[in-house]
Amino acid sequence: MRQRASRPNQSGRFLSVRFVILTLIGFLLAGGAGAGAYFLPALAAARQITDVGPPNLGSVTQPSAPVIDVSGNLQPFTVLLLGSDNDAKFDPNQVLTQSMILVRVEPATHKVAMFSIARDLYVPIPQNGTAKIDKAYAFGGAKLAMATVQQNFQVRIDNYVWIGLEGLVKLIDMVGGVDLVTSNPVLDDYYPDDIHSSDPYGYTRVAVLPGAQHLDGIHAMQYVRSRHSDLRGDFGRSVRQQQVLLALRTKAKSLTAADIPDLASTFNGQLKTDLSLDRIRALLPVAAKVQTQDVKQTTLLNYTVGENIGGEDVLLPSDWAAIHALVHQDFPS
Amino acid sequence: MVGFGYGVYHYLESLKSRVTTEKAVAPAKAKFSLPGSVFVAQGGALYRLRAGSFQQIANGGWTQPSPGPPNQLLAVKRDAQFSDLYLLDYDGHVVKQLTHNANTDVHLNHWSFYPHLSGDGQTVYYSWDPKDPGNFYRVDLAVYAMPVDGLQRQARAWTDPNQYTGGDVQPAPLKSGGLIYAKFGLTPDGKNISQLWLTTRARATGTPLTKEEDGCAQPALSPDGKRLAMVCTAAGQPSKLTVADFDGKALGPATVVATGLVAAPGWAPDGNGLLYLSALDTTGHFQLFFQDLTAPAAPAVPATAKPTGPATPLPVPSPKPARQLTTNNDYDATSAPTWLAG
Repeated sequence: MRQRASRPNQSGRFLSVRFVILTLIGFLLAGGAGAGAYFLPALAAARQITDVGPPNLGSVTQPSAPVIDVSGNLQPFTVLLLGSDNDAKFDPNQVLTQSMILVRVEPATHKVAMFSIARDLYVPIPQNGTAKIDKAYAFGGAKLAMATVQQNFQVRIDNYVWIGLEGLVKLIDMVGGVDLVTSNPVLDDYYPDDIHSSDPYGYTRVAVLPGAQHLDGIHAMQYVRSRHSDLRGDFGRSVRQQQVLLALRTKAKSLTAADIPDLASTFNGQLKTDLSLDRIRALLPVAAKVQTQDVKQTTLLNYTVGENIGGEDVLLPSDWAAIHALVHQDFPS
Repeated sequence: MVGFGYGVYHYLESLKSRVTTEKAVAPAKAKFSLPGSVFVAQGGALYRLRAGSFQQIANGGWTQPSPGPPNQLLAVKRDAQFSDLYLLDYDGHVVKQLTHNANTDVHLNHWSFYPHLSGDGQTVYYSWDPKDPGNFYRVDLAVYAMPVDGLQRQARAWTDPNQYTGGDVQPAPLKSGGLIYAKFGLTPDGKNISQLWLTTRARATGTPLTKEEDGCAQPALSPDGKRLAMVCTAAGQPSKLTVADFDGKALGPATVVATGLVAAPGWAPDGNGLLYLSALDTTGHFQLFFQDLTAPAAPAVPATAKPTGPATPLPVPSPKPARQLTTNNDYDATSAPTWLAG
């Protein structure tokens, strides 16, 4: 009787345990599916944005510095930020870089240095003769742009981030706009009307008024892209670009991992980088701790001379030794 | 289980940061009432705040309301590629279009901003961009003046802007007939500067009221003309809302009454307080604040400059904390609030 009675009990217990296990697995799968559905856009975008498209440049490129040292500390590193017109005027794979900014991050001291490179700087481009530096990306993608900057400025670059016009507009809108004190009235009667326009060669008028204000993506783009009515031309624009980057960093402090899907879907091909997820994850707490006064901003203003070469207005470095001394204050070779 | 998965999805969604989910809203009720009416701009609409409630009076590109002739406002209507000055009644109806800046050739359009009525109510001062026939790329604003009941072709320039800097903006007419305005420029080493200037007649050189390095702009004269509010942003620093005595020729001791991302001061009709806009949190939405300037008076701090020279704002906090009128609006910070007694 006991034996007979015990069989159903053992069987029942086994069924109960199996039921509980299956239920737990079911919930885990369901939860995983929910999380997967949430983060799926991010995973898809991660595959899309990690693109280097390299030509073989031999010794002019250098391996990235280790992300973290043996003590577990995030190592200092240098990123080349590239911003491009990527409208219908250009082959999507051969765009010029309107903006080139070297950024050095010192995680231990929370110090950041930014150095803007003038787009019209006339320099040797590895395996491509001499041309404006903004053509390096068009000739050979991010790797050639990195190699060109490394070779000419004698600095080490660990990673790059490339962003297209629409990508920057969308990013700024996605974080709710940027808040900053615009430095002066930025007016331009010949501002490119190439976003959401049927004529990529069209022009429009823009006016960004001075003072503290909240700018959405389109107006922030107007502020950083306009150059015709600035006495400093591209140098003035570089200063404004650095200002908006800092304002964007302030907003980025508030982002969480739950924002990643929105960010990923925002870019949709407008962002490319070789930054590893490890480095991005390690960067987030550093970005939150950097104070504005710990950010050093530099441009090449007063280090170049204007020249016309082959009918093209370019900037020639006035003294490479002085430029190297300036750059090496913050960016190691 | 399907419900659990759905719940996980929405739980993760709930962890999104506020910056990605915050949306601008229509003006909500003020936290306390002010006497009279306050006119503000938000998202291309003009609102009238009266007895603690906002009422939209005009919509579609409107900004920068300021006091006009009796029972009227001056305001800017902004299109994508030009802007014009208008006279409106307090219900937002157009009384008169003062400027006509649209042109079939987009590059021949003009901008008009920052309208202010002269002390005698006969003249409108504003910023306008004249064309440079020698260089089409140059677009700098200059301060112009035109009769309020006249035509735009009667307007004449009052200032000569520094070239390729953005120019001269934000005229604040004096009762005596002079003008304070913000002039933008560049230092020899290429840094942007803004400085308040005083000029007593059209095209006169004038005199600086503030130092280049203080980065002052957005002048607002008190109703009696004896105090000047301004926003100063020394390079790389937060903005400072500053008030200084003004004797008609120079600024006296200056007091900082608010810091941070502050903008657009506008005086109370009795001169005893200031309205201004400030963004306090990560949303970047500018809210309306009131700073009481009545006794106990903010301590006067001796300016380091000579009495006849430009005053230097000093970082001395006001003894009275500012009161925040709104919490979830999103005002246009390039448009100062206009506070009228009626």
